[in-house]
Amino acid sequence: MHPIETLLDSWPKLLDGTLMTLKLTLMGALIAGLLSPGFALIRSHASPLAQAPLRLYISFMRGTPILAQLFLIFYGSGQFRPVLQEWGLWNFFRDPFNCALLAFALNSTAYQTEILRGGIQGVAHGEIEAARAIGMNRLKILRRVVFPHAYRIAWPALGNEVILLMKASALASVVTVFDLMAQTRRVFSRSFDFSVYLWAALIYLCLTAAFVLVWRLAERRLGRHILARQQPRPGAPTPRETQA
Amino acid sequence: MLELLSYGDTGWGDEILRGLAITIQLAIVTLPVGLCLGFMAAFASMSRYRALRALGFGYTTLMRGLPEILTLFVVYNGVGLLWNMLLKWWNPDAPGSDFSPFWAGVVALGMVFGAFACEVLRGAFNSLDHGQAEAGRAIGMTRAKIFRRIQLPQLWRFALPGLGNLWINMLKDTALVSIIALNDLMRMTSVAVGVTKQPFTFYLLACLLYWAMCILSELVLARMEKHANRGVRRA
Amino acid sequence: MTNQPDVILKAEDIHKSFGNIEVLKGISLEARKHDVISILGSSGSGKSTFLRCLNFLETPTSGKVTVHGEEVLVRNGRPQNARHIEQIRARLGMVFQQFNLWTHRTVLENVMEGPVQVKGESRAEARDRAETLLKRVGLEQRMDMFPSQLSGGQQQRVAIARALAMEPDAILFDEPTSALDPELVGEVLKVMQSLAAEGVTMIVVTHEMNFARDVSSEVVFLHEGRIAEQGPPDQMFGNPQTDVFKRFIAKVR
Repeated sequence: MHPIETLLDSWPKLLDGTLMTLKLTLMGALIAGLLSPGFALIRSHASPLAQAPLRLYISFMRGTPILAQLFLIFYGSGQFRPVLQEWGLWNFFRDPFNCALLAFALNSTAYQTEILRGGIQGVAHGEIEAARAIGMNRLKILRRVVFPHAYRIAWPALGNEVILLMKASALASVVTVFDLMAQTRRVFSRSFDFSVYLWAALIYLCLTAAFVLVWRLAERRLGRHILARQQPRPGAPTPRETQA
Repeated sequence: MLELLSYGDTGWGDEILRGLAITIQLAIVTLPVGLCLGFMAAFASMSRYRALRALGFGYTTLMRGLPEILTLFVVYNGVGLLWNMLLKWWNPDAPGSDFSPFWAGVVALGMVFGAFACEVLRGAFNSLDHGQAEAGRAIGMTRAKIFRRIQLPQLWRFALPGLGNLWINMLKDTALVSIIALNDLMRMTSVAVGVTKQPFTFYLLACLLYWAMCILSELVLARMEKHANRGVRRA
Repeated sequence: MTNQPDVILKAEDIHKSFGNIEVLKGISLEARKHDVISILGSSGSGKSTFLRCLNFLETPTSGKVTVHGEEVLVRNGRPQNARHIEQIRARLGMVFQQFNLWTHRTVLENVMEGPVQVKGESRAEARDRAETLLKRVGLEQRMDMFPSQLSGGQQQRVAIARALAMEPDAILFDEPTSALDPELVGEVLKVMQSLAAEGVTMIVVTHEMNFARDVSSEVVFLHEGRIAEQGPPDQMFGNPQTDVFKRFIAKVR
């Protein structure tokens, strides 16, 4: 079959799959994004003893294949079915989407935590001191000084992590989540038409490219103060940026 | 519990260890393939010919943007189809044969490794002290000799941390070949799960084995880095 | 307002140890309204540490600091009423050697940050005052730039405006000109001089002898963690009493 015909035939499935891939990736990244700042603070400030469980978790997540983590959650939960049923959690674990999302979110949390910790440790100490000297409380210092800088420093690495997560989300196809990868395999197994893989590859590349673009735009916005240094115009004031 | 993990007919210890051996084999065979691809791609992308540079860029962008599992299926199914086509063309009576999952794994994982290694090697090459190559040229060494005698030994030092990370990633990615039916650690674990109905126990065991391999790799890599950095004064 | 309106800051018997080394061995200091106190001393004399103890950027090992009736007593390295610390800091401005501007905010935002975030002022109100203050330090043309686009002297003037924006009872200066290129020192000293003339209470750790002699109302000389000599600048420089201070002046001249 001609590749274009393949696309015309299978685009609804591929579109469905693409949306599922996006949903998995973005929700996973978002959940990890909500959990990581707190964990990163523990990693950069808490006592070694308090950090120990977190370090173990991060080491485990980074030292084992995501596929194994996914199986551990999806199939492994079956071993505790009676208990989970008793707690009313079985319905959650029975759904492959939930398990995949949980696995990806837990995995990405570990990576994002380490990335963000690096960012926090890169914040200039003097700026924190200036905030303390002006009377800000701890929470305000974190919100107004530490995290804005930490996210700016960590931004490119966080973007890489989201792309890695999107690639990893293709593993959900193995536990029967119908993402782009699963739909592609389904089309292939029916038609043995190889070109559907090439279309899937193209879609993944487009997703990555679009994401990289969006991330760069956001980076430019976050990094106004750095871009400004690259083009110093001491004579002319820059256009007014009045909203903080 | 212990019985489940023991050797012999009643236990799964021997099956799982055999799976582990395949996993390690796969990773070790993939490493040189990936390194070669990485070097070739790095040379291509630093070449003076535009076409070669474009090729290098295309290869790395493609491989780094695609899910590893998609690459694996493309190689497994695609190369399989291609192979059979060639076979039929050569000898119409030949029986169709499947591309071996092991070699599909080696090729796919090697291609992924190579793309990331290309970036690492390029970065390492750019951090080399330019003056030393010039000193080599000044005493009349050829380009090839400068590369072999001066740049390569030092390249190693800059590239080692990055390559070490890639090795660990690849070690974990080998789990993917279980999906195309290679009897690696992951798949043998699934087989054991199918019979014993103890999924959590066995997948946790598999996780622990991967974890142990990664930690061991990290320890070895730390040693190698220390060794590679001898004679370099710390700033 | 307190009962003694003219005493703004009072530090009593401040001790500070790092491990086994006692850096401050009991220093007391009182600043009245409109005072400009210069703290001199060779490096290692503890002068910066003492200044940083006043707003608890360093926690003293023991001692008491009172600012505007807010009192913090420290025993064994533990502040007894730590909640007052943030209030004291809000009442004391600080200008650092390395400026420490927030590099991710514009000049104007740097100056507005404290009033809006700490004192809860409206943005409009804070902006008005920030613009006035930036004019006063001669930077009205630079308000929308980022700190990285400014020279060291300009950055330090922004830092002074930032401290002034909190309408503090006193401003602490920690070697404000030491990180500057020699040609930029003058512009910062000029601003400080005009502040002194307007009656802003200042405590200045400095190496600028001319500033200490000509601008300050009182000079304190620290030596090995103690106040070795203290008095009005005319008397201190005209008729130094202790050998250590005599040697100090001879060396820096």
